Amino acid sequence: MNTNNNLYTVVYTTIIVVIVAAVLAFVSQSLKSRQDANEKAETISQMLTAGGFGTKAEFQAMGNAKVLETYGNEVAAAFTVDAAGAKVADLDIAAKEVFSRSQLKAQNYKVKAGEGYALPVFIFKNGITVVPVYGAGLWGPIWGYIAFEADGNTIHGAYFDHESETAGLGAKIKDDPAFQAQFVGEKAFFGESPIFAIVKGGAPKEDGKSLTDNKIDAITGATMTSQGLDAAINAWLGAYAAYFGTAKAVEE
Amino acid sequence: MKLKETILDPIFKSNPITVLVLGICSSLAVTVTMKGALVMALSVMAVCGISSLILSTLRNTIPGRVRIIVQLVVVAMMVILVDQILKSFEATYPIDKQLSVYISLIITNCIVMGRIEAFALGNKPIPSMLDGLANGAGYGLVLLVVAFFRELLGSGTLFGIQVMPAGYVTNNLVILPPFALILLGCIVWVQRSIQKDLQEK
Repeated sequence: MNTNNNLYTVVYTTIIVVIVAAVLAFVSQSLKSRQDANEKAETISQMLTAGGFGTKAEFQAMGNAKVLETYGNEVAAAFTVDAAGAKVADLDIAAKEVFSRSQLKAQNYKVKAGEGYALPVFIFKNGITVVPVYGAGLWGPIWGYIAFEADGNTIHGAYFDHESETAGLGAKIKDDPAFQAQFVGEKAFFGESPIFAIVKGGAPKEDGKSLTDNKIDAITGATMTSQGLDAAINAWLGAYAAYFGTAKAVEE
Repeated sequence: MKLKETILDPIFKSNPITVLVLGICSSLAVTVTMKGALVMALSVMAVCGISSLILSTLRNTIPGRVRIIVQLVVVAMMVILVDQILKSFEATYPIDKQLSVYISLIITNCIVMGRIEAFALGNKPIPSMLDGLANGAGYGLVLLVVAFFRELLGSGTLFGIQVMPAGYVTNNLVILPPFALILLGCIVWVQRSIQKDLQEK
């Protein structure tokens, strides 16, 4: 058989590609539910880490079932809010309903457009409120969770993750505990611009303490990732500004 | 070539990393922990072995002009399958996250395409599969040796279990990729002193 014939080559490659595509589609479909369960537990453990309920390594060690159980024990309310800060719908706490990455991505388009969004808010029994942020890093999406104290603007903790930032540089938003620790005790200036800033060259400091409440140091060698995270935080917290504004007004 | 040599040669005598100097990039990146190195080693073995088996079975039907593309499609399929499977199990999900892009980058690992091109396309399916598995194992062996020293000295643990005494101060240099290259150099040195035929005159 002449395997160098043009027709043979075209037919052969077409058949190979169709078979490979079919195999991959089948495997992807049949494993999807398991992968979703893993991703959900990962999302919840990131939220709990931001909220200070434990370290990421502890949640990783305890396994999916225990992570979901911890979340069930600690969460008080979960719902979505719109641009005016009003509640849109409840999230099912019993079913441990959270926002997956694809849901965050879909909301990110609406946040950028400035309207039509319904963003999740998770309130825990100790008064801590956790909200997600989502944006673009250097190579791919970056996202994370910021936990606020009961006063609605002091940051209690933060956890960030990324898809493909450079290891050792941009990946520090996830891997460097010192970077995430900078967020603790800072404030989000809702209604001002910028709400929060990650400053290249370092935030102004005195005796090692940040002078300005809403500024932290960027990561050396990862300018684009730092800027991306800065943009993500400002866009998303901006979208939540009305909610935190009204929540505060109710308290006063 | 005899079957025994097909299996044993890639483990030591013609090891893909230390003798052929292939797959260096990933061996520097994924050797911080033993767990990561083990999962990576098994993944490369699976990809290498099964792709070699499939392509060796197809070898007489593959059109010569699109040979590399057909290889690429099959290897890519295997890599995606391995990645999907690792993502599906609770035990391997965190390791898959830790290895992140390096699992997908198995496709660019020269060992895989190199062995298919050099061996699988000219040999019968079963020896080809064994050759793929053995080369994956040779790669994995070096990975594990490097990871053993890096995890022991860098984190004081092995497979996540504390083995160094409590007072041990972890060495941060060992965690960084440059140290992996130094270790790899030492392994090549040891191998070349044992195997005289590798030494240049």
